[in-house]
Amino acid sequence: MLSAFFAGLLLAYAGMAALCQGLERHYKQVWQRLPPPGRRRALRLLGWALLAASFAASVAAWGWAMGPVGWFGQISLAGFALVLLLPYQPRLALLWPGPALLVWLLCRLAGG
Amino acid sequence: MKKPTLTQAMAWLHTWGGLLFGWPLFAIFLTGSLAVFDHEIDHWMQPEIQRQEVPIAQAAEHALAYLQRHHADAGAWNIALPSERDPGLRVTAGERRRGISTDLDPRTGEPLKVREAAGGSFFFHFHYTLNLPRQIGIWVVGLVALATLATLVSGIVIHKKLFKEFFTFRPNKGQRSWLDAHNAAGVLLMPFHLMIVYTGLIIFGLIYVPAALQALYGGDVEAFFAEQIQAPPHSHGPSRAPAAPLVALAPLLQQAEQRMGPLAGLSIQHPGRADARIEVRRVLGNRIALSKGHNMVFDGVSGALLAGPPQLRPTVLTQRVMFGLHFAQFGGYPMRWLYFFCGLVGSAMIASGLVLFTVKRRRKYLVEGRAGDFGHRLVEGLNVAVVAGLVLACIGLFWVNRLLPVELAQRAGWELRLFFALWALSLVHGWCRPHLQAWREQLGVAALLCLGLPLLSALTLQRPWADSGHLLLELTAAGIGLLLAWTARRIGQRGAQPLSRRAARPLAEVN
Repeated sequence: MLSAFFAGLLLAYAGMAALCQGLERHYKQVWQRLPPPGRRRALRLLGWALLAASFAASVAAWGWAMGPVGWFGQISLAGFALVLLLPYQPRLALLWPGPALLVWLLCRLAGG
Repeated sequence: MKKPTLTQAMAWLHTWGGLLFGWPLFAIFLTGSLAVFDHEIDHWMQPEIQRQEVPIAQAAEHALAYLQRHHADAGAWNIALPSERDPGLRVTAGERRRGISTDLDPRTGEPLKVREAAGGSFFFHFHYTLNLPRQIGIWVVGLVALATLATLVSGIVIHKKLFKEFFTFRPNKGQRSWLDAHNAAGVLLMPFHLMIVYTGLIIFGLIYVPAALQALYGGDVEAFFAEQIQAPPHSHGPSRAPAAPLVALAPLLQQAEQRMGPLAGLSIQHPGRADARIEVRRVLGNRIALSKGHNMVFDGVSGALLAGPPQLRPTVLTQRVMFGLHFAQFGGYPMRWLYFFCGLVGSAMIASGLVLFTVKRRRKYLVEGRAGDFGHRLVEGLNVAVVAGLVLACIGLFWVNRLLPVELAQRAGWELRLFFALWALSLVHGWCRPHLQAWREQLGVAALLCLGLPLLSALTLQRPWADSGHLLLELTAAGIGLLLAWTARRIGQRGAQPLSRRAARPLAEVN
């Protein structure tokens, strides 16, 4: 359950980060240039897909009744954390879920 | 005079409704967030109770033996069993909330000397009564909740770029930054805000809107609840039933545990008599619906199952699910942490809204030379006392709990007196000191108290940090302390530079 919970939290954050990068203003804020239109669409799609995956992780952690409740909490808090971090550490705010996902995988492998 | 547009009307409502109801609302939100961990705080405040792995049947036997020895002629016994969140074993002779309680060591059954403490239950009760007399408090909090719903909706209406600025936060820009932070916390956590305020209203819905209860049950709440749980009526006649030995508890507990999951406790009506009856309570939280009061009832002599746990009708289940969504007993610790942080962000949203009110006006008033106006000063002072002062008083309560002598008579009462004294002091301080200094000093002291909490335990307890739950609470407090310290420092910088620059510009224009 804990492993699915953390997966859900990470995916929620990653999804919010991708959706955020799908907006011109925030893409420019991090990379100092405008995103090509194709990439913008891809980022938005990726964002929604990650949020969907986060929903699935929440359901795996809590079941169909509690899962959606927890999921709303996760995407809200993940989004808020991203918004606070973004202006101070734009690249770190976007990229930390990568290594975190690796750590999660290692824990998963180690813990079974 | 021109009729205001919808946005203007909503903005007016949001500004003034948000200010007046924002003060009590901040207190409700902050104490509610703390109440998510009410049992954990209870346990922290009574360090004499240690976490021990004891089978509940054994703990129940100890409890029973103690009650039979000391309270054989009591009309009712209650036993709170050790559980994951609440590791103590507590027996009560007489009614559960009003009788004489004793804490026992679950391993030996010997009575423990445990300090009287306000505990996390205080935050829980404050959350829905504001420490007013219960009925009045429930009405006041209900009014605040209703106003909050209006404030939330008006906030959505007046937000000009809800989706465009969904992820926007621009720090170091004065009023702009406050508005960004307020919007981000409001918009991103909107599902939580709407859910928690609405379900909060529903919990006491029958008190606020009692028409259905009057029409269907003649206003008899007891009848309404009795019908829900389908329990057979219990005779409370004056005639004394003949003596009869109590059935063995262990098999009943095992049966109840199989049916309902982990158990929280049991109560025994008329112990030692032929009409004895045993009610077994579960630990809440294996489903969303709040199952408080939905227990299993056994015959105290034969051990036969008399009732429960009840099957809920769809209407009652709907109501109970809404209660459960608010009480956050389900989903284990991960869910609790989500609720806790959502509550803290909600509190921060309210606080930023209150600050925004004064930030917006301060500049204008400085230009007009009205910054010293009584009304403006009052709002500024109340903001400091309600936000920083309450944070200070809450962490202060933890300190008071460790510092007051353990043997003090009426100890829990003294803890609360000091809590309110500290809060009142913050009001005086907020009024006397210059505005930004007052913020900085109170947040600074609160930060120090938070950061010092692990040390305090080390100085006042023989085995500090032995209980992982206590340690986690102290580390969480320290984490919050870091945030508070950062905030206090930022206020200091703001007070020194940008504000004076901002204030200087309009003054120059005037000259």
